[in-house]
Amino acid sequence: MKSKKSLWLIVGALLVFTIVLSACKPAPAEEGGEAGGAAEGGSYYERALAGEFKGTVVTMTGPFTDEDAVKFNNAIADFEEKTGIDIQYEGSKEFEASISIRVEAGDAPDIVDFPQPGLLGNFVQAGNVVNVLDFLGQDYLQQQYNQSWLDMATMEGPDGPIMAGVWHRFNAKSLVWYPKKAWEAAGYPIPETWDELMALSQQIADDGDTPWCIGIESGAATGWPATDWMEEVMLRTTSLENYDKWVAGELPFSSPEVKKAAETIAEIWFNDAYVYGGRAAIATTFFGDSPTPMFEDPPKCWMHKQGNFITSFFPDGVKAGEDYDFFYLPPIDEQYGKPWLVAGDIMAMFNDRPEVRAVMEFFTKGESIKAWLGTGGALGAQQDVQLDWYGDPIERKIAELVQQATSFRFDGSDLMPGEVGAGSFWKSMTDWVSGSVDLDTALAEIDASWPK
Amino acid sequence: MSAAKKPRQGKLVQDILINGTLFLLVALWTIPTLGVLVSSFRTRFDIQTSGWWSILPHKEWLLVEEFDIPEGLDPNSVMEIRGVRGTFDDFRQGIETPDGKQLIWIGNKRLGRIQVQELRWTMRTAFTLENYRQVLAGKSFELQTPDGSIITVQGDNFVGAFLNSLTVAIPATVIPILIAAFAAYGFAWMRFPGRRLMFISVVALLVVPLQIALVPILQDYVKLDLNGTFLAVWLAHTGFGLPLATYLLFNYIKSLPRDILESAFIDGASHFTIFTRLILPLSVPALASFAIFQFLWVWNDYLVALVFIGAKPDVQVLTMRIAEMVGSRGSDWHLLTAGAFISMILPLAVFFSLQRYFIRGLLAGSVKG
Repeated sequence: MKSKKSLWLIVGALLVFTIVLSACKPAPAEEGGEAGGAAEGGSYYERALAGEFKGTVVTMTGPFTDEDAVKFNNAIADFEEKTGIDIQYEGSKEFEASISIRVEAGDAPDIVDFPQPGLLGNFVQAGNVVNVLDFLGQDYLQQQYNQSWLDMATMEGPDGPIMAGVWHRFNAKSLVWYPKKAWEAAGYPIPETWDELMALSQQIADDGDTPWCIGIESGAATGWPATDWMEEVMLRTTSLENYDKWVAGELPFSSPEVKKAAETIAEIWFNDAYVYGGRAAIATTFFGDSPTPMFEDPPKCWMHKQGNFITSFFPDGVKAGEDYDFFYLPPIDEQYGKPWLVAGDIMAMFNDRPEVRAVMEFFTKGESIKAWLGTGGALGAQQDVQLDWYGDPIERKIAELVQQATSFRFDGSDLMPGEVGAGSFWKSMTDWVSGSVDLDTALAEIDASWPK
Repeated sequence: MSAAKKPRQGKLVQDILINGTLFLLVALWTIPTLGVLVSSFRTRFDIQTSGWWSILPHKEWLLVEEFDIPEGLDPNSVMEIRGVRGTFDDFRQGIETPDGKQLIWIGNKRLGRIQVQELRWTMRTAFTLENYRQVLAGKSFELQTPDGSIITVQGDNFVGAFLNSLTVAIPATVIPILIAAFAAYGFAWMRFPGRRLMFISVVALLVVPLQIALVPILQDYVKLDLNGTFLAVWLAHTGFGLPLATYLLFNYIKSLPRDILESAFIDGASHFTIFTRLILPLSVPALASFAIFQFLWVWNDYLVALVFIGAKPDVQVLTMRIAEMVGSRGSDWHLLTAGAFISMILPLAVFFSLQRYFIRGLLAGSVKG
């Protein structure tokens, strides 16, 4: 009987303890007082800097967490201090799932960071998103962004096209990483054309090594690096118009253009002498681990195509510019120039309040990402970002190359509807690479999954 | 003599079979956990390049001597090095020499070198506490201040999320048990119209997946301005846990001896007195075993917490912290090993401290006596 009494005592004590714990949490900040008397006129950003929105709260959510979230919060800290607006960012690993639930339940945050514009497109169609042009001029935006970015932010809403958001950070994908020291010791040249790239691959294979490190395993998202390759080759073998049509679903996957792109990739991927571990290893190697053999002594593979974020997966202690470097994935057909494949984060606005407008305007300025660039991990999409803000020499070089790019396009799979871009495209590419279906079947399957 | 010995031998064989099978099952269940535990003490590079079992003594080819490729060899034909003949591919794989060593070609045809290796007993003993340090104390990040200087800051640690998980889990365990115990008593021992129908509908709720309730509940929470509070997630877990709790406790309370209750009634006890003085003390094993279930479920829950309290650092629970720890693109997956073990500590403590009730709770009601 005594032990039972003490059990209830413990339960009671625990309950009291947790109630105290939850009571200790800071109460949600009250909505700020009236901004009476502040100067009217001027943009919302200027009014914010004048302290008009002091004490207000802007909630944000997005997919990036941990280090990225810390750096983001640091980059906006100065703005928060100057304006008194509290920007509360909440990152979630299950962002794609939770944002749909929250918007549907009427609990949308003020600003949402979308790495996949295709997903944002769904909300724009449903009429949940505020048009940026309501409070920012077209001229101003053209001054802050390259036209391509603005085109990519224009989406079809229920009442015609709207500017669905503003771009914040981006990453460049058309990069091939190589182990610099061993590369120079072996005397390999940097290829400038696709033919040179293929000749180099053959040369490395003749030397007895496998030239490429390729892995597309990524849990539920397995296959996405393969879609990046497809997009790269599409940009290099066909016109931008065709690429845009393809992304919009007007050019089917079974068309000769897309098929040709896949066959170009197959020349590298399905040649067991070219890929570390052979074709069979591609679908089972974690994309983040796939470049690791490049850093063994001597390297087991020599080239790895991936976006600039891959450096965070490189082994501890390897140095940029010393142990590794990158080159631009060479063009295939000269008439299409040197296109860049990019991906990025678009900030979309779900609740229209003056302080939210001010924060959105802040994101169109390079100032909002400056501190992030200083320690690496991001590239700024804004025109007023200065190259000397970049603390990482590799990222500075990438930013410079993208500035000079003849054209760039957004990661196609991120623009396609979710069923395709984050579904059948990944899956069918994986099936094709692992050899369970042939190319025609795989492409037909993707076409069939396109929402009608 | 022999007649008495035989059954004993048969029993021995039976014991060996039973214990052997049990041992095998236990090993099957625990070896993966052991692997995670070992990996949590290894560096990311070690985890990537060798299995956790390589910490056990095993035989491996180890370097004895290394030399450059002899002059005048043509790697594209059959070569002879130190009395061993083979093609480049053979040497890449490694060729055994007559004295039990192995010649292996490291690197490519032009820049390679030859290693002489010997098969020796070895074990990897390089362990690190770095994973646990990063999980417990937080990772360190470099940040740039407005004046352009670089500072290093410590990221979030586990402590806040651990306390948040406790704040969520304890009331989310106690509240449904209290309600379910009342309900179970009512269904088991009180007569009122519609009792059967109500009980059946409660049991029917067992098969309803909680995912379909997320959006409607969230809509209501938004209207009530409850979203993002601990109360929201307590209520959600209470609702999702009640059908099972009621059903389990009903079965147990129903099986209590009728005589005790009847004598209490004759002595003039009210339902409330019977419930608090008789039923609750007698049902401790069942209450405790359900408490374990519910506590583990809530502690390990990710989805309900994500939807109803979100991932803000001041309210986020442990599962969310662990998921975040790997970084936006999952580059720090090796920290999951250490994170998993730290988050496991409390459920293990709960289980072992309530274990005797748990086993009693499982058995209770099954044997009438």
